[in-house]
Amino acid sequence: MQPASQTNGKINLDPDNAEHGLAQLVLTVIELLRQIVERHAIRRVEGGTLTDEQIENLGEALMNLEEKMEELKEIFGLDADDLNIDLGPLGSLL
Amino acid sequence: MDGLIYLYGLIPAHESRERTLPSLKGFDGRGEIYTIPIGSITALVCNLDPHEYSEDSIKDKTNNDMEWLQEKAFHHHETVLKLSKMYTIIPLKFCTLYMNQTSLEKTVRDHEAKMMDTFELLTGNEEWNLKIYCDDELLKTKVSQNNPVLEAKRAEISELPKGKQFFEKKKLDKLLESELEEEKNKVSEKIHEHLKEFALKGNVKKTWGSNVTGRKDDMTWNGVYLIGDSKVEEFLGQIQQYEKDMKETGWRFEASGPWPAYHFSSFSK
Repeated sequence: MQPASQTNGKINLDPDNAEHGLAQLVLTVIELLRQIVERHAIRRVEGGTLTDEQIENLGEALMNLEEKMEELKEIFGLDADDLNIDLGPLGSLL
Repeated sequence: MDGLIYLYGLIPAHESRERTLPSLKGFDGRGEIYTIPIGSITALVCNLDPHEYSEDSIKDKTNNDMEWLQEKAFHHHETVLKLSKMYTIIPLKFCTLYMNQTSLEKTVRDHEAKMMDTFELLTGNEEWNLKIYCDDELLKTKVSQNNPVLEAKRAEISELPKGKQFFEKKKLDKLLESELEEEKNKVSEKIHEHLKEFALKGNVKKTWGSNVTGRKDDMTWNGVYLIGDSKVEEFLGQIQQYEKDMKETGWRFEASGPWPAYHFSSFSK
């Protein structure tokens, strides 16, 4: 499998390499959602409305999610920049 | 005289009398660049066809024809650079056009005193640019190792249960990011202030994003300096010294020049 770092923030969907481009696209969406969830959780924790137990559970779940994401990136040969796709005039996704 | 006039730059009239303008192709690639004496100032110009280079057609080409824009911007830059090596020049911005010779002459006469002051400022001095880049990851390691606040915080976090650790680590990362930005600004500003001692003037420009520089490391400083001819070597030597001393902590220095003094000639503002 080709490393995706050559794509420079663009999703590579050429016919011979479509599955890799697709993996990059799927992981990009998952990473976006993960970061949204994480930011929301941090706001909740800082808001002071959660119990210690809830904070502990939430933190552990997010930590596991982050670790899983790292594993998946490694499996597909992607790094953080590959998931931060270029949205042209809108800037970068993440 | 109704022809459109493209203005490259303005030079002191006596310099134009002392050194003959070499043969240079104009903006349209057909005509030649020539001089128009206006009192104690000489304008370096070429003629353009008013139909081919109307305001609308230039706007359209600039926005839609990248190849044209690249070729013409390169022509402007190369021409002004060549002229700046021969004369004390007030360089004009890309596509500075006058409707006719009369309107150019009027503008020059209206600003003559200011321009003469600018010539005086530019004589014997050169404009140099310094871009400072920084590898965030390398510097982050350094900032985080030498910071007692961060060290203490890290020790405190390691005592917490796993879930809480996650949130505290995120907070720490955020703190580290802001410390990093602060450090980058502090170091760059200090260097800028030091380099200003070699220069007559030093100005700060906007830094460029990595989409413009095409580099992985971050541009932390973009400065322009007006330096006396005799001080240039010292200025560059100092930058080399910075590069040598700070390379290992992720800093890179890129000095370039001498440039036409775009940033220190008031007529171009």
